[in-house]
Amino acid sequence: MLGLFNILNLGARALQAQETGMAVTGQNLSNVNNSAYSRQRVQISTSIPTPTAVGLEGTGVQVTGIQQLRDSILDGEVRDESSVGGYWTGQQSALQNAQAELSQFLDLSASGTDSTSSTTSSTSTSSLSDQLNSLFNAFQSVATDPTSTAQRQALVSQAQILTSSLNQASQSLTSLNGTLNTALDNDVTSANQLLSDIAGLNGQIAKATANGGSANDLNDTREQDLEQLANLTNIQTTANTDGTVDVSVGGAQLVSGSQVLDTLQTYDPGTGQLLIRTATSGTNLTLTGGTIQGTIDARDGALQTLRTGLDTLASNLITQVNNIYSTGYDLNGNTGANFFTGTDAATIGVNAALQNDPTLVQAAGVAGAPAPGNPGVSGAPGDNTVALALAQLGQQPIAALGNQTFSDSFARDETAFGFSLSNANNQVTNYNSVNTMLLNQRDSVSGVSIEEEMSNMITYQYAYEASSKIITTTDEMLQTLISLKST
Amino acid sequence: MRIAGTSYNDSIVNQLNLLAAQQYELQNQVSTGQRIQTPADDPAGMAQALNLQTEASNVDQYSQNITTLQTRATAAYNVLEQLKTISDRIGEITTQAGDGTSSATDLQSYATEVTQLIKQAVGLMNTKQGDQYLFGGTASGQAPFTMTTDANGNVTGVSYQGNTSVAESEIAENTTIAVDTPGENNSGTGPRGLISDSRYGADFFNHLISLQNHLLAGDTNSVSTVDEPALLNDENNIIYQVATNGAVQSQLDAQATIASNRESGLQTSISNVAGADLTQTLVQLSQNQTAYQAALQSSANMLQLQQYLLSYLP
Repeated sequence: MLGLFNILNLGARALQAQETGMAVTGQNLSNVNNSAYSRQRVQISTSIPTPTAVGLEGTGVQVTGIQQLRDSILDGEVRDESSVGGYWTGQQSALQNAQAELSQFLDLSASGTDSTSSTTSSTSTSSLSDQLNSLFNAFQSVATDPTSTAQRQALVSQAQILTSSLNQASQSLTSLNGTLNTALDNDVTSANQLLSDIAGLNGQIAKATANGGSANDLNDTREQDLEQLANLTNIQTTANTDGTVDVSVGGAQLVSGSQVLDTLQTYDPGTGQLLIRTATSGTNLTLTGGTIQGTIDARDGALQTLRTGLDTLASNLITQVNNIYSTGYDLNGNTGANFFTGTDAATIGVNAALQNDPTLVQAAGVAGAPAPGNPGVSGAPGDNTVALALAQLGQQPIAALGNQTFSDSFARDETAFGFSLSNANNQVTNYNSVNTMLLNQRDSVSGVSIEEEMSNMITYQYAYEASSKIITTTDEMLQTLISLKST
Repeated sequence: MRIAGTSYNDSIVNQLNLLAAQQYELQNQVSTGQRIQTPADDPAGMAQALNLQTEASNVDQYSQNITTLQTRATAAYNVLEQLKTISDRIGEITTQAGDGTSSATDLQSYATEVTQLIKQAVGLMNTKQGDQYLFGGTASGQAPFTMTTDANGNVTGVSYQGNTSVAESEIAENTTIAVDTPGENNSGTGPRGLISDSRYGADFFNHLISLQNHLLAGDTNSVSTVDEPALLNDENNIIYQVATNGAVQSQLDAQATIASNRESGLQTSISNVAGADLTQTLVQLSQNQTAYQAALQSSANMLQLQQYLLSYLP
């Protein structure tokens, strides 16, 4: 038999159990908007029964633990998906910036069906492809009217617009490249910070669980850190029996228990483009997911292809035009000068002498004997052979550009770039769908439902009242007992 | 499946974001009238549109070239017409002077008229269009013909300072045309000279000077046996040039029409590739806006419902 005092104890333990239940419910409710939180449940079981004359008799209830509802498999999947998402988001943002810098927009309103209202030959179009067309059109105009100063001036102006657009595009893409490298540094710093946070949490969790307890909220925080890290770079985790989690990146173990074995570092392999390696052991890492690798792949892939394409276009334009142009004669009978200066998209420019004096444009194929009385003037100003050849250059396939014309080659580069960005966009959309689905599944396991907590609250409250009744009733019984012996 | 509190909010936010993004895209398409604006919108379509635009730009340039050439050809034709008139008058003079019935004074006045006609013809041959002389070949920076006269004002010689090359201009892919004619071509190769070409025995000015001199000398026999047939030959040459000019102008006109049609066709193609089908886009936009409103409304209801349990508690 328990005895009245033991029943009081039973009541007291019941009150404590319900209190704990209420506390956990309160904890769940307070964290209803915390997306990193997993709901907790109090584990109640009967306390150790005591042997009595009539057999084992129950002694009430005890709280055996506060359990956190988490599915580690789902957690792993969310982390992996986070890496995938980080990778494609990194690519998408880098390539979208590049597209904006290139400013290759299609503008249908700039061209018209009637040549008198069309602006395709005007000098105010914004995209590189239009300007390239306009350059060759300007050569045509000079070829049709070789002595016209106005057409020559228009040619020089159009060439200047094209070269400064190429300069600008090249410069913008180069500075974007620099920005991406800086972003890599920042991401690596963030990743290292997360590594040290995870190691610290590992230590605290190990201590808390060493005595058989649970470290529910620390688990939540560590899981959040792991997810953020996974977004930056693909990680492999190993759970240990003491509750700590080891983290490896690209095969190199970085966190073991509460220690950070190594950190990430950016380095320049000599090309000016940063890559990733471990700081202490110096192992070069090739990552498979995450924003860091996404940025690297965008930078060295589509962005680099675009920059190289622009440079190839510019250098071939310079060489091909100058080859033909330098054989021509200007209105003064001189020859040999170049039309374009520079070697690539960043340095391409128009011969400065032409900007001041359009008569120096070498449009003629022959000098012609100077007219009597006009010794310094070409005798054949109406000759347009070189200008015509330059105009027809626009439609010739260039071997170095894969046997395509300048315009076609540029269009092809644009298309390739467009496909890369379009692919990144699609992948990000897919990632969003999958991520939403996984998060919903995780929420269904770990998310806090207000209705559930509310009804739990009601349950614990009534149980508390009922338990308190045990105490008050037992108290009255004790009073009765004591008053049996009254003097 | 168990639904947690945050699931509602997350899914509402996601859906609204998705709808808003779609709305933005559709709105853009409607306001610009274009389905494709950046390479990522439709890479293959963008490539097609760029190629079509390049072609359209080329065709437009050909149209402009043709316009410039037509102006030159018309200017040349005007000169040819007037040369033909002069040649007709010369023909009349040679006929009348050559039949031997004219008096000495008549012959003198014919001579004077011929002198004037020579000077007029030289002036015509030195016509400029824009800042280029029409009949000097590619040496178009200076007057092609110079004239020398004697003390009495009679013409003693006309010499040609131009060359025999003419410039080709492109009026379609791999199609060039030369609209100019050199004034003289006595080299034996190249384009036919306008008033003088050794291959066809044409030498208008020298024959005119010969006529003038014979008239001054009163030599009507030479006028009819030497000058008249020579000048008839010269006239045939001029008539040939008139016909050629007409043919060139027809070709230019035809090519201009072709270019114009091609331009229209290309614009239509570009529109088909890159333009937005406004009807379809507006319908989609309207559907999207309806969905957006529905999402907003249902999410508002949902958020309200979540409070009900709280209000049921005492």
